[in-house]
Amino acid sequence: MKRRDFLKQSTLASSLFFVPSFVKAFEDVTKETLGFKKLVIIQLSGGNDGLNTVVPYRNDIYYRNRPEISIAKNDIIKVTDDLGLNINLRPLKNLLDKGYLSIINNVGYPNPIRSHFRSTDIWQTASHSNQYLNTGWLGRYIDSYGKKPHSGIEIDDSLSLILKGENINGIATKNPAILNRNVQTPFFKKILEKQTPEHLSEHNLGYLYKTMIEASSSAKYIYETSKTFKTKLEYPNNPFGKQLKTTAEFINSNIESKVYYVSMGGYDTHANQKNKQSKLLDIYSKSIAVFVNDLEQNNTFKDTLIVTFSEFGRRLKQNAAKGTDHGAANNVFIIGKNLNKPGFYNEAPNLLDLDNNNDIKYSIDFRSIYATVLEKWLKVNDETILNSSFKKLDFI
Amino acid sequence: MNQKHLQHLYSRAGFGLSYNDYSKLNKEPKSKIISGLFSNAEKWIPLLVDVSELKALSASKKMNAKNSMTKMSAKDKRDLTKKSQQKIKELNYAWIKRLEQTNAILNEKMTLFWTNTFVCKDNNILHIMQYNNTLRKHALGNFRDFVKAIAREPSMSKYLNNKQNVKKNPNENFARELMELFTLGIDNYTENDIKEAARAFTGWSFNENGGYKLRKKQHDYGIKTFLGKTGDFNGDAIIDIILEQENCARFICRKLYSYFVNPKINEERINELTSIFFKNYDIKALMLHVFSSDWFYAEEHIGVKIKSPIELLVGIQKIVPVTFQKEKQLLFLQKMMGQTLLNPPNVAGWKGDKNWIDSNTLLFRLKLPSLLLNNAVINLEEKGEFEDRFETYYKKEKKKKQYLKVTKSWIDFDKEYGTLSVNELKVLLIVSKIDKDTEQLLSHLALTNNRDFLIQLMSIPEYQLC
Repeated sequence: MKRRDFLKQSTLASSLFFVPSFVKAFEDVTKETLGFKKLVIIQLSGGNDGLNTVVPYRNDIYYRNRPEISIAKNDIIKVTDDLGLNINLRPLKNLLDKGYLSIINNVGYPNPIRSHFRSTDIWQTASHSNQYLNTGWLGRYIDSYGKKPHSGIEIDDSLSLILKGENINGIATKNPAILNRNVQTPFFKKILEKQTPEHLSEHNLGYLYKTMIEASSSAKYIYETSKTFKTKLEYPNNPFGKQLKTTAEFINSNIESKVYYVSMGGYDTHANQKNKQSKLLDIYSKSIAVFVNDLEQNNTFKDTLIVTFSEFGRRLKQNAAKGTDHGAANNVFIIGKNLNKPGFYNEAPNLLDLDNNNDIKYSIDFRSIYATVLEKWLKVNDETILNSSFKKLDFI
Repeated sequence: MNQKHLQHLYSRAGFGLSYNDYSKLNKEPKSKIISGLFSNAEKWIPLLVDVSELKALSASKKMNAKNSMTKMSAKDKRDLTKKSQQKIKELNYAWIKRLEQTNAILNEKMTLFWTNTFVCKDNNILHIMQYNNTLRKHALGNFRDFVKAIAREPSMSKYLNNKQNVKKNPNENFARELMELFTLGIDNYTENDIKEAARAFTGWSFNENGGYKLRKKQHDYGIKTFLGKTGDFNGDAIIDIILEQENCARFICRKLYSYFVNPKINEERINELTSIFFKNYDIKALMLHVFSSDWFYAEEHIGVKIKSPIELLVGIQKIVPVTFQKEKQLLFLQKMMGQTLLNPPNVAGWKGDKNWIDSNTLLFRLKLPSLLLNNAVINLEEKGEFEDRFETYYKKEKKKKQYLKVTKSWIDFDKEYGTLSVNELKVLLIVSKIDKDTEQLLSHLALTNNRDFLIQLMSIPEYQLC
């Protein structure tokens, strides 16, 4: 190969992909008998302030602790006698009215950690607060069910722990064409085309080749399947809207991927929180509304469950910079068509009974939500995936 | 020493064997080569970045606060943290440069190993730089002194909350990780041992200059019962008792074996190493034993380890020196591959080996030589940070076609490798076995020069192994 060719080939896309016969064999492993159900997990990264999202608008303690950043009673979309939604969540209220939204309050875990990194790990791996796991709960799901990288997709360019399994990892992409282009470089292709199954027995070297083969076949599969569907709706013009649009295109093209993970950033509001969070909630709820609409129009909403969490809530008491610091328990949004208990699933946070950091105590372990989703929605054994048994809830 | 063995030694004790190293060493006996590694290691120097400006700024802000009889404002604190974080990035770049250029490679490789054993992270450049050099200082020293030193480090004190560990209200975090992750491993102590150990470390703190300080009023001088012993133990006594457990030596030997020898553990070898290390916890003696033993050079250990992102990155740069014009891009590379120095994921550190690899990281790693040496287009974006605002979190979206802005010293490469035959270059670059089909592909490439061939060699999966 000439230098110029190599340069061209390592940087430019190219044509058809030849699949060596044994790679095909790899792909034809009996398809797992998986249902149609899809799960979309959204993380509000940075720690969303749950108390200004779902507001206890009749609680004096709330107003007393937040003289500068509380949401005034008339700026609230009232839902019950105690709780209302932030005014920027109007589109979510519409979902709630249709019976599509269930809000679970006070979700957390024992001995809460207030570090973004660590608490995100805990939520993503479903570990205890003093336990370090190498695999994510969705990763373990695709380890047992699906078994291909594209069984779980993160809408980003690098993969988070949540989708890392023991034997197989999910795949990350926010642009299937680019992902595909990256496995279509001629040199890469040439190496793969040449392969006979022999190397697969070699320990780590075999693992590398296997990962290469799976990556290229998943990349190709995602690209070719997802391009058959183009959404007709207009999503809000921002990166989160784009992530959901891509997710909808995956789901509506009937790709066999089961679980999706999307992270939306910006929620670490230590200073001047009010405007920042308003904007974020506005972006979140408007994008979600279009997303749900898109799925409904294509008859896939009934088979999709959307779970939104944040790695922790924020402290009841505002700080001096008109913001809030890292807290503990928080609310989780469940969005879907056939919910058992639309509206508020459980009691409002108890602001009189805080933990020793003056943060909200949890009453529902987040892993109970996972267990419920695994058993009742994805119809798999939750205990093998969570390595433990958690009480099931009845939101679905 | 035969070439394969020499390459193996240098890929584990360092970041690969250059052709110059090879020509210098290939006639030498094994013992001389190994003692050379150790004597060079002794010549380590601290890794420092210039912090004078930050120190001056910090002093003046403190003075302002003192003069106005107030605490430093939140904004002043934020400014300082920001400056400090910028310096930590500089330390990251300097560290990678160091790995590429140092003669004390064994000491640096050991330091990397300890970084991932005594895992720690801090926003304060003065403290984390001190911590980093403490790792360097003890990297081949005595493990007992080492543990006692890290227990006194400000960064560690903050990272594992020992600062908040006081008599009235003990915080167990440091005591727990000390045993679970630094010395004994899980199941070799009880919850009660943790509680008692935590008491012994109460009041351990640091002064303004980063030195150790015991806050006597916060220290619990009472009687503790720990791992079956009873006494008025302080933190040092706890560490001594931990080291009396053979499990401690075993725990470290396992870690060390999977890092330097083979991720697949051989229990017999672990027993052998444990019996040596347990004698007096001499790290140098242990490493000398590993590298001098015949079994270290067994076929089953050669080229079977998946390189860490840093090993991969540094390995390439050792062959073709690369200067980053935009150092930020060096952070981008680390982030995309999942290992940013000074920014470990959590106190358990990076898992290593297979955990480095998923579809996305592997594709990126295979493309790394083209990105660094061949102006390949960057078409992927790094994730935002938790602390980022929404716009910043996604800011990388806007940039279109990007390349790494680097200067490559191809001339140095040509001087060292230009006259080698294709086969010599291949043997020197790839320590692992080469897949038969890939081997065939390589032999059929129409080659024009060694530069091209080098990039291609670095792009095959085998180059991911060391």
